[in-house]
Amino acid sequence: MTEIRLTIDYDGYESGQRMDNLINELAQKPESSTLTGLVIGDWGEAYQNSPDTFLEALISNKDSFPQLRNLFIGDMGFEDCEVSWIVQTDLTPVLKAFPKLQSFTIKGSTGLTLPDLRHNALEELVIICGGLPQEVIQQIRDAHLPELKKLELYLGVDQYGFDGSLEDIVPFLEQERFPKLTYLGLKDSELQDEIALAAADAPILDQLHTLDLSLGTLTDKGAEALISSERVRKLAYLDLNYHYMSDEMIQLWKDTGMNVNVDDQQESDDEDDWRYPSLTE
Amino acid sequence: MSERGQNASMLLIGNSGNRRTLGLQEARCRWGLPPAVLVTYTELLEAEEAGGETISRLLAARLPQVQDQGLLIRLDAPGEQADVERSLIGLGAYDRDGDDSLLPSAIAAGYMGISSAQAASLPQEEGRIYYPGQWFRGYCRLLAILRREALRLWPGARWVNAPEDIAVMFDKRACQQRLTECGIDIPRRLAAGLGIGSYEQMIAHMQQERMNRLFLKLATGSGASGVIAYQRHPLTGAEKAVTTIGIEHRGGERILYNSGRLKQYTDHAAIRDIVEWLCGEGLQAEEWIPKAEAEGCSFDIRQLVVAGRACHRIARLSRSPITNLHLRNRRLPVEQTGLPLEHIEQASQIAEAALAAFPDSTVAGIDVLVRSGSRRPYIIDVNPFGDLLYRVAHEGLNPYEWQMKP
Repeated sequence: MTEIRLTIDYDGYESGQRMDNLINELAQKPESSTLTGLVIGDWGEAYQNSPDTFLEALISNKDSFPQLRNLFIGDMGFEDCEVSWIVQTDLTPVLKAFPKLQSFTIKGSTGLTLPDLRHNALEELVIICGGLPQEVIQQIRDAHLPELKKLELYLGVDQYGFDGSLEDIVPFLEQERFPKLTYLGLKDSELQDEIALAAADAPILDQLHTLDLSLGTLTDKGAEALISSERVRKLAYLDLNYHYMSDEMIQLWKDTGMNVNVDDQQESDDEDDWRYPSLTE
Repeated sequence: MSERGQNASMLLIGNSGNRRTLGLQEARCRWGLPPAVLVTYTELLEAEEAGGETISRLLAARLPQVQDQGLLIRLDAPGEQADVERSLIGLGAYDRDGDDSLLPSAIAAGYMGISSAQAASLPQEEGRIYYPGQWFRGYCRLLAILRREALRLWPGARWVNAPEDIAVMFDKRACQQRLTECGIDIPRRLAAGLGIGSYEQMIAHMQQERMNRLFLKLATGSGASGVIAYQRHPLTGAEKAVTTIGIEHRGGERILYNSGRLKQYTDHAAIRDIVEWLCGEGLQAEEWIPKAEAEGCSFDIRQLVVAGRACHRIARLSRSPITNLHLRNRRLPVEQTGLPLEHIEQASQIAEAALAAFPDSTVAGIDVLVRSGSRRPYIIDVNPFGDLLYRVAHEGLNPYEWQMKP
């Protein structure tokens, strides 16, 4: 198990460092042959340069990384680059190049597309963003990922790219879609209550270990549906961290004895009673 | 450590009964020193308004038998007291005469502020931000009076921090210029620190200098007051400002206030409005350097420097770009941030160098930013009254005990 993180800071980029060079250099080193995890952080001016500036280097060196199982593209914090500013691209060529990949994490959704998403080994797919475009949601919905165990989608807000609706999200609650799924995260949404209502009694809960509705605008409205559902009660873990539930509702959750995370209670904005998901910058 | 003034009489200029004054007096008591003689800002400003020799008489009467060779004068923060704020705004008014020789930066062209009479009747509103540029001119005028009077009454006295240094430290434009001249690393300044007069000028400079993310700071603000983390996408023009500044319009009047919580603006008109206000009151615009992270938060370091030596320090953690909020942010011993020892040392050294840029001053709370990745340290602020640190010890002593230690 070895993991390497490649990132380029401001000074490095100004002095000419480029991500494709870093990948080529890594591929020449002996540790590339045993590398299991690769995290690509800031590739420099990520608000205008997409991963196209280095994807070719990664793909052409694929034989140098025979053990690569975990890949993260875009691991940067708000101090490096605003998540909604991160420019992504069509990342399916990477999945084709690494058929043994098990975990794929993407940060940033601007320009992201995953057409004809098929992979026979992928067990985890995580997309962290301020707003997931409807097109990408539909591409994942229609994907062929027979081994998928964990799906975690930050849905976000319309201002940062979410242009879908509840109808685009509901299909993820169907059982047949990803038969091995045990962790479902439909999170960081401005529709968190609606999602909770739709999820509360969905048959897919019977196969899940974890339901993750965290980081969104969940209020007592969605929580009431969840807490009164037998299926929810049987979950091994329910993640509602970052929410707008009342103190009373938090206590009710504690009384259930469930393994539920109700940390990080938010207060809605005093003036206009507006609620924001967590990762909306 | 004679610079810490043991056995000396001390004149303390501050606000009565606050945590700073109490902390200092307790520390003196602990070491068996006589309590500092307190002259409050309220008293001083009333005497100033009375005119004539009133201030002289007040100061002389308060310290009738002092051996001025041993006298140490300590200025503490004038903040958090509404009557003092009003009086200083009045003292800084355009219709008042004053000695502006300690004012480090010129007031923006066209800046009027309010008259001294208007200042006297400012309504007290929690959190409201009134005319900070004018307030600072008033404070510099008071500093000039104190310097003059002290020189006359006690020519042998020493200042903990010299009034002229306090004025420069307090003005981020002048302070960063001083640090640059001393070869100390600071974040790159927009327009090389030559001043930004308007929102349009700021945008033009951002484009020219390829700076898309800035910290915009009220040049004479303290703490998180008047700080904005601002970014503008160079291709789309999308803007975002994260700040504690709240803005509203009441009957044609633009009202600004310190909100207890962070606000996020993406609306161009509102952002422009706030930036224009900052330009009038005094704007410092500098590169937003990505900060090092600990426990999923970014952080910077408040490093106290006393008599040339780094002492108390604390890391200030935040999930937002603004680390020095009083509310909701966490503090952590610097040693627990995961920052390697050599980089902690470097941060302490640059803080010591920053205070050394003020040879007539012996105490400051220095804010050090550590760049993520390279971990290179930069000075972002020099706080002349930055020694109020809670629950932080150095060699078992709190900051006041440490300063007063014989």
